[in-house]
Amino acid sequence: MTSDTPARRRARVFSRRRGAPSRARRRIGAAVRMLAALALAGGVYTAFTPGAFAEDNTPLSTAAQQGKELFDNSCISCHGRDGQGVEARGPSLIGVGSASVEFQVGTGRMPMTRQEAQAEQKAPQFTPDETKQIAQYVQEIGGGPEIPAGELTEDLKANPDALARGGELFRVNCTSCHSFGGAGGALSSGKFAPSLGDATPEEIYAAMLTGPQNMPVFGDNQISPDEKREIITYIQTQIQEDKDPGGVFNLGRYGPATEGVAIFLIGITILVFTSLWIAGKS
Amino acid sequence: MTAHHGATAEPVDVNDPKLTRFDIVKEGLRRDDIEIITYESQFQGPNSKAEKRVVRNISFLFLLSGLFALVFLVSYIVWPWKFELGHTLSDYYTPILGVSLGISLFALGIAILAWAKKLLPHEVSIQQRHGDPSSDDERLITGQTAMYVADELGVARRPLLKGAIGLGLAPLGLAAAAPLVGGLIQNPHRDAEPMMYHTGFDPKTNGDKLVRLTRDDGSPIRPDDVSAGGQMTVYPGVPGGATNKFADSPTLLIHLRADDAEKTRVAADGDKNGRNKGSMWGNYVAYSKICTHAGCPASLYEQQTNRLLCPCHQSQFLITDNAQPIFGPATRRLPMLPLSVDDEGFFVATSDFKDTVGPDFWERP
Amino acid sequence: MKRRKLDPAEATANFAKGADDRFQAATPLRGLLNKVFPDHWSFLLGEIALFSFIVLLLSGVFLTLFFDPSMKEIPYEGSYPALRGVEMSQAYASSLHLSFEVRGGLFMRQMHHWAALLFMASIVVHMARVFFTGAFRKPREINWVIGVLLFLLGFFAGFTGYSLPDDGLSGTGLRIASAIMLSLPVIGTWLSAAIFGGEYPGELIIGRFYIAHVLLIPGILLALISVHLGIVFKQKHTQWAGPLRTNENVVGERMFPRYAMKQGGFFMAVFGVIAFMAGMFQINPIWLFGPYRAAEVSSASQPDWYVMFMDGLVRLMPNWQIYIPFGDGYSIPPLFWPAVVGLGALFTLPMAYPWLEARKLKDTRSHHLLQRPRDNPERLGIGMMALAFFTVATLSGANDVIADKFHISLNAMTWAGRIGLLVLPPLAYYVSVRIAFGLQQHDREVLAHGVETGIIRRLPNGKFEEIHQPLGPVDEHGHPVPLEYAGWVVPKKMNKIGALGPAVKGFFFPVEAPAETPVSPAPIGSAKKEEISSKR
Repeated sequence: MTSDTPARRRARVFSRRRGAPSRARRRIGAAVRMLAALALAGGVYTAFTPGAFAEDNTPLSTAAQQGKELFDNSCISCHGRDGQGVEARGPSLIGVGSASVEFQVGTGRMPMTRQEAQAEQKAPQFTPDETKQIAQYVQEIGGGPEIPAGELTEDLKANPDALARGGELFRVNCTSCHSFGGAGGALSSGKFAPSLGDATPEEIYAAMLTGPQNMPVFGDNQISPDEKREIITYIQTQIQEDKDPGGVFNLGRYGPATEGVAIFLIGITILVFTSLWIAGKS
Repeated sequence: MTAHHGATAEPVDVNDPKLTRFDIVKEGLRRDDIEIITYESQFQGPNSKAEKRVVRNISFLFLLSGLFALVFLVSYIVWPWKFELGHTLSDYYTPILGVSLGISLFALGIAILAWAKKLLPHEVSIQQRHGDPSSDDERLITGQTAMYVADELGVARRPLLKGAIGLGLAPLGLAAAAPLVGGLIQNPHRDAEPMMYHTGFDPKTNGDKLVRLTRDDGSPIRPDDVSAGGQMTVYPGVPGGATNKFADSPTLLIHLRADDAEKTRVAADGDKNGRNKGSMWGNYVAYSKICTHAGCPASLYEQQTNRLLCPCHQSQFLITDNAQPIFGPATRRLPMLPLSVDDEGFFVATSDFKDTVGPDFWERP
Repeated sequence: MKRRKLDPAEATANFAKGADDRFQAATPLRGLLNKVFPDHWSFLLGEIALFSFIVLLLSGVFLTLFFDPSMKEIPYEGSYPALRGVEMSQAYASSLHLSFEVRGGLFMRQMHHWAALLFMASIVVHMARVFFTGAFRKPREINWVIGVLLFLLGFFAGFTGYSLPDDGLSGTGLRIASAIMLSLPVIGTWLSAAIFGGEYPGELIIGRFYIAHVLLIPGILLALISVHLGIVFKQKHTQWAGPLRTNENVVGERMFPRYAMKQGGFFMAVFGVIAFMAGMFQINPIWLFGPYRAAEVSSASQPDWYVMFMDGLVRLMPNWQIYIPFGDGYSIPPLFWPAVVGLGALFTLPMAYPWLEARKLKDTRSHHLLQRPRDNPERLGIGMMALAFFTVATLSGANDVIADKFHISLNAMTWAGRIGLLVLPPLAYYVSVRIAFGLQQHDREVLAHGVETGIIRRLPNGKFEEIHQPLGPVDEHGHPVPLEYAGWVVPKKMNKIGALGPAVKGFFFPVEAPAETPVSPAPIGSAKKEEISSKR
């Protein structure tokens, strides 16, 4: 029953991703890449997914056409013509949906400058409008999860329980990587879960929906759109907006590690200097 | 004794009316084997400008201390302190208390210290230690006295008494310890099916019916609730299954991608005692969330590398190799929960974990 | 009846008389007032621990008035919105209650926690001072042992206290504690079952930790601290070598007024620093952690810093499990070695050190003069080795935070810790021993040849040489007579021996008054003694 869900398709295309390409391979000229892309676009694609994307033949919307131009300029070298992916360079974007594009491009993770353990967040290279256009294009060529329209947070006045429910979901699903205080955390071998301190509701929603990098996918059947909104409400109200009631400095909310540093750097240092003064010759 | 002792001071008659108070203090010091060798004012003459300045500074510190103590009191009473969401004045309640009390106390401390350091006369005193051990005679006397006490009791001469004391007091000592030890000791293996070896997924906890996998709110889970590349923390679908009563039961249900699932199936079926054969359902696999090292929830699932990281001691388990530990201090694979789907289309555990869940211990089979 | 006017002086005298009639207090009280204490900044480090302990007692009593150590699950109804309606233990709910609904409660909680961190930090710093200066030598070995026990008790007091709120972070720590108990060969499961009252976590542990945290451990701590101070008082404090100072005397200031005022003032300063930190720096925000659930965890889960060395050792331990193929088969998990054996060794080795060193040096004398660290390079090296080990282990306890924030691979951090744990301690030993010998040699050179003046002179034969100012007398050729090393600071700069004017006074701007012309210090023993007020 699961054999042909969008998720499964995504699984198949994602698994094509390999490790970093060899130096030699990167040196292959544009012509060879073009040839490969053409071959993919022309033959393999249609052979593999016959009739799955009937909408391919429908003309692109205006936004998507603008997105296609941007895509052909900046993304095509790795993700291939029409987002088919390039072996050992970049995965296919068929089925990843606009949510994924809005997250990856909107946070500057894409375009990647180089292959590394994990795409790093950078200053975005496209304006929000351009990002939306690329997202629209990718959505129209392959379908996939989308960020829903409308508010992504709950109105706490109308729905005061949303905060506590969001907190519970956050602790069950998110804290193991992003930590109780949303400060993020290390994963294996140089990978990491980023801090949630400056994540926008759209980014959080898209990340849950699409599982970027090594983050697991939290589809709508697992965490419903309402629950996602509750989680975002918790992150926004509790982690991002609320000033810490316990002090001017929250020590990064890294827990006992920074508290231990503080007691030596501040407590012990002040008191050692005090005792130096007490016993010093006047 | 030593060169300093009594070198400068002779005993004086403390009732002599001509003596000043300091003379009497010095006589006390002499009796305590102390000699003041430097004792001079830090200022040039009384009421020097420098002295006045120091007195002014110290007075200022005392007043500062009082002022901030008042700030503390006033803010303690009037500052809004009830917690409110968002960025409000109440966020500064604790900082204001801390800063005002901190400055008040620190200023008081510095005032007292400056008084001792700057106003009191500079002093060097020497006291003799008298750290010598007791004389041999004293030691002998004490030792012999102690021995004589033993002689007086005559335990050595009265063997019956010696035996009776031993036999009488030892049980009493044990009796005193018994309630503490006896009250605390619990046989971890007392039940026919000790909980240590079983979790909430054991059908026995559910009246011999297979136990469903549920979310923390108790709702059962369908296969398409978890997307490929996704994972979900699941609990046994028995009353209280998500509470700490079943602290060993939390399990991670993972929906692998097709080729990863294939690798996992090969690895799991190839497990040398064969107990994981057929335990996966489709591309779904469930492993205990409780780390086999120290029992933390190993739940940092990396969906592309298929590693599961434990945040406490960084043990890493490779899911596609049947949760084999590949890094860190863990030694044992995470136990796998055998999965199936019941008639209504919800996940169930076909049996309990085939291996003991949680950290290792001495007699774990 | 005629009313007599109350004369305060007479009343005091009568009171004192009455007290002495009953307790013969006059002579011991005079001894107390007059007792001489040596003065050095490093002698105040232990006081920080003492004073933070007092703050701990004061703030802890406040917290007990509101804390409820029950593990009964209730829905939260308090004023913290993000947890409203969540099922939690009463211990956690009451911790939230005392943080949010008790006026100033959060401040007191944070003060208690910071004081605990300061207590342990100052114990470590104080122990380092005692160790490196040889203050643990005969007759003070027992007090050193008591000091190590105080650290151990503080460790357990801290861990039990950290566990009491029953929040998500401390619950994870509790789970590891249960795993450590389970790792003990033979008795593991029995011990864990005894402590938790059955299977983990049960419903008793918070109540049991509570009584340990507020009664048993503080009671023993208080008793040991009293004995510790009593022994210091009885044996009199050690002192540095220096003019007039011998192994048989104490040179310093009388307990009253000066020394006592310094103690009182320093207490206020310590109290002030704790209060300041409690207000400025948020510590242990339990409301973010949520109630403890066995399935929930956070990345960067760490114990408080003084437990981190143990957690670090556990993280660095390779996955070596010992299987005993006997009967049904038994095993010793890798957790056992760092957590049980490691902790045991880290406490018993320091306790035995005073006797080990005395035995090695065949030293049976009593020592009341401290040694400069350089004068016993071996001890310095061993101490630095221990410190390096402790530091690597502690840092490894936070290696995931370091990895994350400095963008280092987590696996690389673990390997760096494993290698560092083996390589750095011997390196620290070697380097510090070499430095100690170098410093010793320089001291001896200055004593033999004098202080370098920085003045270069040309000899008739064209050779340049620097003029040295001898520290003592010279022989008939003008060469300095080599001086004996006295175990104390050797002046190495000309301004240390009065060649330059005194330092300019004033903190922000110089005090304008002309510097008083330097006078040579009054000859010792004949100094003029000034009276305060001679009226009796």
